[in-house]
Amino acid sequence: MIPDTVIPGQTAHLRARALADLMVLDSPEEKAFDDLVFVAAKACAAPVALITLLDTDRQWFKARFGLDVYETKIEHSVCQIDIDRADVLEIPDLAADGRTRTNPLVTGKRHFRAYAGAPLVLRSGIIVGRLCVIDTVPRPEGLTETEKAMLLALARLASENLELRRIAHTSDRIMTLQTALVEIGEAIRDSRDTEQMAFNTAGIVGPLLSADRAGLASIDDAVATIDVKNDWTAPGTVSIVGRDRLDACADLQAPLAHGEPLVVWDAQNDERTLQVLQSAMRIGVRSLINMPVREKGKTIAVLFVHSAHPRTWPAEEIAFLRSAADRLEAGISEHRAEQQQRIVNGEISHRLKNTLTMVQAIANQTLRTIVDREAVYAFERRLIALSAAHDALLEANWAQADLETVASTVLETIGFANRCRLDGPPVALGPRAAVSFALIVHELLTNAFKYGALSNNDGEVLLTWGIENGKTDDLLVIRWIESGGPPVTAPPRRGFGSKLISTGLLGIGGVNIRYDRSGFSADLKAPLRNLAQA
Amino acid sequence: MIKPVVLVVEDEPLIRLFASDMIEEAGFEVLQASNATAAIATMEDRRDIRVVFTDVDMPGGISGIKLAECIRARWPDVQIIVTSGRPWPAEEPIPTNVVFFPKPYRQDRVLDTVKRMAA
Repeated sequence: MIPDTVIPGQTAHLRARALADLMVLDSPEEKAFDDLVFVAAKACAAPVALITLLDTDRQWFKARFGLDVYETKIEHSVCQIDIDRADVLEIPDLAADGRTRTNPLVTGKRHFRAYAGAPLVLRSGIIVGRLCVIDTVPRPEGLTETEKAMLLALARLASENLELRRIAHTSDRIMTLQTALVEIGEAIRDSRDTEQMAFNTAGIVGPLLSADRAGLASIDDAVATIDVKNDWTAPGTVSIVGRDRLDACADLQAPLAHGEPLVVWDAQNDERTLQVLQSAMRIGVRSLINMPVREKGKTIAVLFVHSAHPRTWPAEEIAFLRSAADRLEAGISEHRAEQQQRIVNGEISHRLKNTLTMVQAIANQTLRTIVDREAVYAFERRLIALSAAHDALLEANWAQADLETVASTVLETIGFANRCRLDGPPVALGPRAAVSFALIVHELLTNAFKYGALSNNDGEVLLTWGIENGKTDDLLVIRWIESGGPPVTAPPRRGFGSKLISTGLLGIGGVNIRYDRSGFSADLKAPLRNLAQA
Repeated sequence: MIKPVVLVVEDEPLIRLFASDMIEEAGFEVLQASNATAAIATMEDRRDIRVVFTDVDMPGGISGIKLAECIRARWPDVQIIVTSGRPWPAEEPIPTNVVFFPKPYRQDRVLDTVKRMAA
């Protein structure tokens, strides 16, 4: 309960806050409240009953029985009299009472003559209005004890309903906000970079909070400047894209530096925004939330929401923004880690390529005197096939490589891509299997070029693969089928290339080579599981 | 018979030697530079260079890609081959009259291109 000695201005302020928090002012009619005024009127045999909420400049009726106005000026409110005493107010003859004698509701056509109102007390102890009954004739004897008890009971029900209504509203709202958080998480995951993350998040947050502007601004290490790359704005609201100073206003800077949210309900009545009020008004900010986004204990960005009107930001919306900021934080650091990884991978790859080129240079200088240049070129091509396998592995962080990517990279770097057709489902090869496969493709290509389908101008190669369900394991089966070449026969002597082919994908065989009339073909088989791991 | 002149730009001596030998053996006169600045100086000195064969990453702040741009602007008739251990930057298109070879490259392919350009 509010103590008897309260400063009216202060309780009026508390009441305004509590009412804003209830989100009930100007809400549509609701049966639960209409029923209460109906019962109150009947219980007290009065022609009029009202649930009155005392706003700062008006009294607004949440429910009305026997009256056709929605609100009156606060000066004409009978309910506000002695409101802080938290007791039933009874005025048996309004026309005789000094406080109400000149009230237009009394002197006017409505002829209000008798009044009794019970306070609407919230669980917090704050009184937000009254449930009252009004008669058009004086009632010198006042309410009976039973009537008074009923009026108090109904007022308690009304207060309880106001709070339950708010809780129901909040839980609906929380559901909506939760759903939005999931959307934000997806939007962040789908973003290429932090700018897109900011754009997508602002586009969800702004409309959801009925804001006028929302965005994610990056903040420099010293928390001295703020940089808005893009923002979401309601129609008619200006964008604030650009760079701005933060260090000029300690009240804005300090919370960000400490990683605390800044919540302003009304910039015109908030000492923290006094200093920047003019510029705030210029860009149409009357209320705002600044929610810091942190990384390793430092504020790196701020998720901001602006409104052109005063706003009582409810706790669940602040909590929602905090969660959104957390998701952005996770998204940004993950994105940075990936970028870092990409740079490192690129650097490793670059060094590897340079090393392979050095090997190529050394081999060439060493083998200068060798007359058979084809041997040197064969070495070079094997080196390039190896390099191609690493290119394919680089695409998936060195962990695995797509079979088709390996094959096509080798074909593109060695040649003959236009005469080889690739066909098969996506298959992931581990690093060893990828290198082995690249070298085998190179040897098959070399043989085809020397003796087989690629030795003339119109032969072709079909490289196809698929999964076969084996007894214990799924098998990857790769088929190299040549056609349109000259007749082929098994060579009398096996060179390094043929040996490499016959060792198979994992170096343990599983190779079937045929010299058919239609052309050379080779089947390579290996357990899929081993290939992905190796 | 006068041999066409090719300028090889590469900071790694071993690879420069390899590339120079390769091109020389194919019947060209080869000039060498170990960075972009030296390459420009050679270009200013020798007006008979037909093809420039350059690496991308080199000390001195001017990359082979920048060098290629500069040559295109100042000597539009000179043909350019760029080679690198990195892929060509995805955001930039490869300019016309520039051919790119990822490292390690096939000698016969590079030589085919040099011959075509010098013809």
